[in-house]
Amino acid sequence: MDFRTRLISAAFFIVIFTVSSLSAQLVGEVNQGGFEDYSIAAQDILNSDGKESELSKELTSTLRKDVELTGFFALLNPKGFLEAPSIDLDVKDFKNWLNIGANGLVKGFVKEGKESVLEIAFYDVAKGKKVIHKQYTSSPEGMRMAVHKFVRELVLILTGETINFISSKIVFVEKNAGAYSLVTTSFDGSDRRVLYSSNSIIALPSWSHDGNEIYFTSYSTGNPYLYAINRKTLKTRIIAGYEGLNTSADASPDGNSIALRLSRDGNSEIYVKNLKNGSLTRMTKNLSVDTAPSFSPDGKQIAFVSDRSGTPQIYRLFIDNPSRVERLTAQGNYNQDPEYSPDGKHIVFTGRDEYYRFDIFLFDLESRIILRLTQNQKKNENPSFSPDSRLIVFSSDRTGKNSLFISNITGNRQILIYSGNGEVITPSWSPELEELK
Amino acid sequence: MLKKGFMSFIVLVIALLAVSCTQPPEEERKLAEKAFRDAALAKDCDKENYVAAEELLNKAREAYAKEKNDEAKELFIKVKEKADAMLEYYRTHPDECMPKKEVVVQKEKKVVEMDKDDPANPDMEFPLIHFEYNKYEIRDEDEAYIKRIYNWMTNFEEAVIRAEGHADERGSIDYNMALGEKRAQAVKKALVMLGIDANRIKIISYGEERPVSDGHDEDSWYQNRRVEIVKTNF
Repeated sequence: MDFRTRLISAAFFIVIFTVSSLSAQLVGEVNQGGFEDYSIAAQDILNSDGKESELSKELTSTLRKDVELTGFFALLNPKGFLEAPSIDLDVKDFKNWLNIGANGLVKGFVKEGKESVLEIAFYDVAKGKKVIHKQYTSSPEGMRMAVHKFVRELVLILTGETINFISSKIVFVEKNAGAYSLVTTSFDGSDRRVLYSSNSIIALPSWSHDGNEIYFTSYSTGNPYLYAINRKTLKTRIIAGYEGLNTSADASPDGNSIALRLSRDGNSEIYVKNLKNGSLTRMTKNLSVDTAPSFSPDGKQIAFVSDRSGTPQIYRLFIDNPSRVERLTAQGNYNQDPEYSPDGKHIVFTGRDEYYRFDIFLFDLESRIILRLTQNQKKNENPSFSPDSRLIVFSSDRTGKNSLFISNITGNRQILIYSGNGEVITPSWSPELEELK
Repeated sequence: MLKKGFMSFIVLVIALLAVSCTQPPEEERKLAEKAFRDAALAKDCDKENYVAAEELLNKAREAYAKEKNDEAKELFIKVKEKADAMLEYYRTHPDECMPKKEVVVQKEKKVVEMDKDDPANPDMEFPLIHFEYNKYEIRDEDEAYIKRIYNWMTNFEEAVIRAEGHADERGSIDYNMALGEKRAQAVKKALVMLGIDANRIKIISYGEERPVSDGHDEDSWYQNRRVEIVKTNF
């Protein structure tokens, strides 16, 4: 799969027709306006005959999802469009778009074949100008990636920001009638791939430092051992098979070690396992539960959960001096599953409020303010940051069963990205997986 | 007159002795044969005695055939005694001696209706130990259950058990695994405190992954916060 993706990437042939000088002026406008003020109309993508096809519909939905997911723009509802879709990218009259309040417009069409060609353009509606016009060539399977790249370009030109997750993946556990699957999808919930299935429990997946492997716990031997699976070859190897629980691996930023939870000494404790020489260093030592470790991006601290105060709370320890432990959450009496943002500014976690509802919260390490991202939308759990620290994936049962949602870090935009056959739980977002051209 | 009377007495005694010595022991033979036939019921559960009785009976029949009546009589009496003892054993040990099919039926009935909570029953049903929300201390009302498990383990000293800890669906998968483990440990610790060898109690946590009730209310959650005991080598 990823080998193929790489081939697709290499085979991309991109034609840039125009990059308007307007782009420089646009940089910053979006940010100054704030979230959702810059509205984008994404017109239906058609095939080169001017009709809808399976592929064109898929690309349209990918485009709209991307525009929403990036978190910078407001996506206009296509039901309000005054103009029928067409393959004419030489737009002269923007009246119909001005009238519905669009700041920007995206139009495109795909010429289908063994090598498909996506031609797609972005227009500044107010100024009446085409700003981006690109042509991407790849196999039909690679066309979604072409849309991702276009949207990344769009974000760069409009905001000056580089989104850094279009090749990233999300791993999670899918439970269906007692069967467990370890599944990956791309960041937008497409390209579902089952890496490992079992009737015994699979739990708590996370990514290796380079994104080539996924750590997870399996009960396939009867005991909860920690394994790594290579996402390309699907080969598994055991990482920790001590007595008791072997779970919750989190890769260190330098890739040399993992933090994990072991209960080999009779109680859940945080350890660091050196992956080069296999040595174990115990980080916590008490009779309480200590679990769910997450390395800070500088590798100097580990955030974790402990019930040493009586209820689970978020703490962090300092690796140089593990006995120095700082409690981070004082609010709420039940906080779990911390994860550092890759930029080191935040820790996202699951908290339980006074009504016993589970929601996603964000701890700002500088101000020490806690921001609530979800509320009154049933149960929300297991948050994980995108590689660029802008977005958070989590599981929620707001649609009736656990599915995956993505939120920006203010919580004001939440989008369903994946809903499986069964319960979809414990997502973990990968690092950006490969350099793209 | 006296002499005549005495003589008649002697004659009578001699006659009686002669009868007892010379007459075949028909009565004893019949009783022994019948008793042996009846004792065949106990053939399987008291095999040793059955074989012994059969041997005796064969000897008795031989003696009877050879008209060694005294010897035959003595042997027939022994056969009957043996056979009677076997029948008595049969009556007092129905579980062992009843024909196989009936044994199964009877046994099952007995376990279900009477013995499922009896620590003397090798097939005792282990009580579930329940816990408060987010807690792993054993509640006072469950001490009797711990005692019952202890008694069973004392009765069956070779047995090894596994305490399987579970949590309800609330809270994280990760933390609930720890909670399940803490609960299993609490049960183990209580049994060890009572004197059970720690090596006889394995523990495992399934976290929230193996609920017994699928509901999303306190009743279901209560049922799911539990430790189950499973026999691993018994």
